[in-house]
Amino acid sequence: MSAFLDARTLPDRTVLTPDLAIIGGGPTGISLALALAHTKLNIVLLESGGMNFDPRVQSLYAGSESGVPYTALEAGRLRFMGGSSNHWGGYCRPLDEIDFEARDWVPHSGWPIGRKHLAPYYPRAQQLVEAGPWVYDDSGAAVTAAKGAALELGKGGLYTSWFQFSKTRDSVLPTYFGHRYEADLKAARNVTSYLHVNVTGIRLAADARRVDRLDLATLEGKHFTVKPRFVVLAAGGMENVRLLLASNDVMTAGVGNQNDLVGRFFADNPIPRDVATLVSFAGPLAQYYGANTTMDNGAIMRAVFSTTRHYCESQRNVGSLTTVEPAAELDEAGKAAVITTALALGVDASNARAYSLGCGMELLPDPDRRLTLTGDKDALGMPRLKLHMTIADEDFALYRRTLAELGRQLLASRAGMLRISYSHRDEWMKAMDWGHHHLGTTRMSADPKSGVVDADGLVHGLGNLYVAGSSTFPTCGASNPTLNLIALTLRLADHLKTVAA
Amino acid sequence: MTFLKGQNPQGGPARRTMIAALVAAATAAALGVYRFTNLMVKHYAPTPYDDLLAHLTDREQAARLGAKVTGAFDARREAATLRAALGSRTFTAAATADIAAGRMTEVDGWVLPQTVVLLSALASRV
Repeated sequence: MSAFLDARTLPDRTVLTPDLAIIGGGPTGISLALALAHTKLNIVLLESGGMNFDPRVQSLYAGSESGVPYTALEAGRLRFMGGSSNHWGGYCRPLDEIDFEARDWVPHSGWPIGRKHLAPYYPRAQQLVEAGPWVYDDSGAAVTAAKGAALELGKGGLYTSWFQFSKTRDSVLPTYFGHRYEADLKAARNVTSYLHVNVTGIRLAADARRVDRLDLATLEGKHFTVKPRFVVLAAGGMENVRLLLASNDVMTAGVGNQNDLVGRFFADNPIPRDVATLVSFAGPLAQYYGANTTMDNGAIMRAVFSTTRHYCESQRNVGSLTTVEPAAELDEAGKAAVITTALALGVDASNARAYSLGCGMELLPDPDRRLTLTGDKDALGMPRLKLHMTIADEDFALYRRTLAELGRQLLASRAGMLRISYSHRDEWMKAMDWGHHHLGTTRMSADPKSGVVDADGLVHGLGNLYVAGSSTFPTCGASNPTLNLIALTLRLADHLKTVAA
Repeated sequence: MTFLKGQNPQGGPARRTMIAALVAAATAAALGVYRFTNLMVKHYAPTPYDDLLAHLTDREQAARLGAKVTGAFDARREAATLRAALGSRTFTAAATADIAAGRMTEVDGWVLPQTVVLLSALASRV
């Protein structure tokens, strides 16, 4: 049967026996279902919410926090069809090769796969996020040729890179996967999407080697069972953890948590505001720095300063993406700095313009930045989550060094100069915002002792439970995760086509 | 009507002399304003570092920047450093060399070539 079904209308105690159960109707779950549509696999897609926001469903996400201030757990994600794509900003950029690699200066780094393993899946992922033709750094020069010269940077650790954006259509902001792909999912004869149904338990067989069944419940009190051949947990970087840890009847520490790793290494991309002021000696920057620019081929582009591999390796630093934000005003000391420096360099700065800079940072992995269960229960009787959030002084220090390098490169090219806004932790924290990218909590590893899932997303020690999405990212890079998690999901789809056939 | 050379209809040699005297007086006054006031050009008391400070096109702005340089500053020692850095080079060449070599210093968050910072700090302290 192919449809969107309201699970509240099903008879109580219904038992479903699909080939594959996908838990979660966000970008990951929908992309997986679409990739497996029109195959011989009988698939159910299980979504807690409906087609639109419902505060009663959303409140299932509520939890508690400790450590550094962080977004409330129910605020940074959305629990209805389309998941958090219903409030994403549409930023797309592939991870860099170095993001996948083990770096001795980044503890716990190294994916069991490389960028080359995702490369075949990026084109389809790019289609799914509707970001137009693949441009990025591969042909970013076309943007500068068409839309004005890039700010020249002297030789050094940063270069002008590019975001692309999920397409904006009229008043519809970036691709909302639920609404955008509703018709496609309904057209897939082998996919049935169940709305308003919550997975409350992943029940293992007695030998703890396979998932036997899933327990499902509605907020109205109905209970169902799904007995699938394969399960893909695609509920997001927080909810994946909650389901695994709460399913502790056979594995007492929680499913896949035999090494106490489920929920650890939580990460997000910090995006502190107004991190620096960039002065362009020659005057206004090209439009594509501070705003999205649409190319003739439909690609929506924005420039960003990214770190080079050589810089990260030689300076033992991590990735970051520094964006140009609105114009800024200089104080008297700032004007004096610009005048004195421009005169020293023999540059005319009479038309100089100043801009605020923003950023997306890569956090160093931290096993103590983690999600755990609490004694509080939600409306379904599921234990709620607690997040212990951390950000190290080293995280700020590394990014600060990158900003200093950008400042040096601007001077080297005589194109401009830069003022770093923050020196102390308190200053950074006051400016802090987060990307709401929930990463790393079911990290991927070749060695079962250092991760939760293997290179295919299969939970170590289990034969039929996979985890998909950015919770499997061992390190997060600085790029926004959506495009990358979809590429990874499409790779999983190919794997499932083989093992589940 | 015709005029003899050096004459005009309104006056004779006495008037020309008066105009010349006025011009001379105005010139002297301008020179005085230039030399003995800060109305046209800022004048600074002589310092042991004038050879260095002469590199600054706008010493007042440099001093404003230099006032933001924090920490101990031994003018005599830093001047020696600057003289070594500048040598026979221009200020621009020295600053460019700093940038290429990564000799950067932060002042109030501004990422600046070391030579610019030292010279600005010197300007603010003399």
